Amino acid sequence: MAFFEIKGISKSFGGLKAVDNLSFHIEKGEILGLIGPNGAGKTTAFNMIAGYFPPDKGEILFKGENITGQRPWTVCEKGIARTFQLSKPFGEMTVIDNIMVGAFARSRRREQVYRKAEEILELTGMTPLRDVEAHNLTATDRKKLELGRALATDPELLLMDEVVAGATPQEADAMMKLIRRIRDNNVTILIVEHVMKVIMGLSDRVVVLNYGKKLVDCPPGEAACNVEVLKAYLGERYVNPSDS
Amino acid sequence: MSGAQISSGPAGSSKSLKYIIGIAVFALFLAAPLLITSEYILHILIMTVYFAYLAVSWNIICGYVGQLSLGHSIFSGIAGYVSVLLFIDTGLSPWIGMFIGGLFAMMVGVAIGYPCFRLRGPYFTLTTIAFAELVRIWLENTDEFLGVQLKGAMGLLVPLRGDAPALFQFTGKEPYYYTILAMLLIAMAITFWVERSRLGYYLKAIKGDQDGAEAIGVNSTKYMLTAMAISSFLTGLGGCYYAQLFRYINPERNMGIDISIETALMAIVGGQGTIIGPVLGAFLLTPTGELARSFFGGALPGLHLVIYGLVLVLVVIFLPKGLISPLRYLIRKGVDRK
Repeated sequence: MAFFEIKGISKSFGGLKAVDNLSFHIEKGEILGLIGPNGAGKTTAFNMIAGYFPPDKGEILFKGENITGQRPWTVCEKGIARTFQLSKPFGEMTVIDNIMVGAFARSRRREQVYRKAEEILELTGMTPLRDVEAHNLTATDRKKLELGRALATDPELLLMDEVVAGATPQEADAMMKLIRRIRDNNVTILIVEHVMKVIMGLSDRVVVLNYGKKLVDCPPGEAACNVEVLKAYLGERYVNPSDS
Repeated sequence: MSGAQISSGPAGSSKSLKYIIGIAVFALFLAAPLLITSEYILHILIMTVYFAYLAVSWNIICGYVGQLSLGHSIFSGIAGYVSVLLFIDTGLSPWIGMFIGGLFAMMVGVAIGYPCFRLRGPYFTLTTIAFAELVRIWLENTDEFLGVQLKGAMGLLVPLRGDAPALFQFTGKEPYYYTILAMLLIAMAITFWVERSRLGYYLKAIKGDQDGAEAIGVNSTKYMLTAMAISSFLTGLGGCYYAQLFRYINPERNMGIDISIETALMAIVGGQGTIIGPVLGAFLLTPTGELARSFFGGALPGLHLVIYGLVLVLVVIFLPKGLISPLRYLIRKGVDRK
């Protein structure tokens, strides 16, 4: 029984097939990278896993249980948390209150929830921003808040959607360190990312999507040399099979 | 501002200043009937506290979640009718009838909330108005239903019992004043408890971003319905009080859209999503409305609504967070002066 598995999921929006018969699995404790050109279907796949909308076909299995089509709060309660590509802070609440909302998923007691939120602030380096109202945060800090909130729900599987977008190289390095720390805390990670350094550096394996279909599923090094992957990213004209 | 202030710093002293002000205000309210000689002014005070109570109850669902219900009088109306009918037909004391009426209102609240919460913004508001008007118009045109005399637009008179505290009737105005004051304090205490609890955090999160909230475990429908249940129950209790205060209930007075709008206005003007905000709003708008009605009511009926509108426009432009923002500012200034 795989820790997490999707089997043949598909999703169409009108005439557009965003995800086409996608299957892959995730091992407990690994970091799986999900990459592909823009429009490949990565966020749509995330949305289906997190329960934002159900797939037209196929199954999603978490720890052996079928969670296909379950609502986002149920999926969260079962142990899967996600961040959004366009972060969704609770604007008028302070940073610590935002994180407390996440922590309330596991406990009703305010003192316990407060302490958990403080731990998360410490882990993500946001302690100085504790009482800042979320709508006053910079874009990068909003992404950190998004991550902190998801972590507060004590997930076993964390879906991260482009957390490094728009970050400076130093910020990206700090984020990579943080992600590794999160993995060391027993959290399995599925990460979507465009910044190659980050995703190739972090992932144990990558799944490459193009036009909603899976191209390859292998360690990052192999994917970078794969002809089909190169064609998807660079276009047919720039890839000459005899050169690889 | 000096180093010596650090231990009881700005946060500490602002808390003690708030306590002092709170206790002083509370004492003033307790003593009010002894200090006020005019029956008319006491009546205005009672109405003000009553609207403060309604606004605080409304705020529990609408202020925190940020949706605008303009049909809340359906709860005070239905509960009022239930308690009055129980008294007329079975002699049940309105003190008990109140809670039964409140439960009815709560069930209606949850039943209405379920479809309404799927709607956003103006569509939600229009639907709440539709439900309230539906029931009001039905009542206005129904003299009898399932053997129960409803008397339609004529309304129901609560049978006079004179000095009968056990039946929620008093000869003087003072007991009515203390009753509604107690109800207001209880409603504010409930708001305080909700704000600090998981329910309160979840409601604010839903207001902030519903999708983001759902992704971190918030079943938005369940929690909005919970808040609605509390709010509609409390609003229902208020409607029963109102029926006992005037010993009369009819669809237009108790279930009209005017009360719904005024209640919402007071909470918004005073400061949504706070404990004291709705009270401030009620204390600004109710006396203003009463005075406008008594001075100009003959020559310019409805003037009080115009004034409410003006106040709302001014508040939205200059104090978008409500009257509570200058109050907080003044408290902070008072602390800094020390």
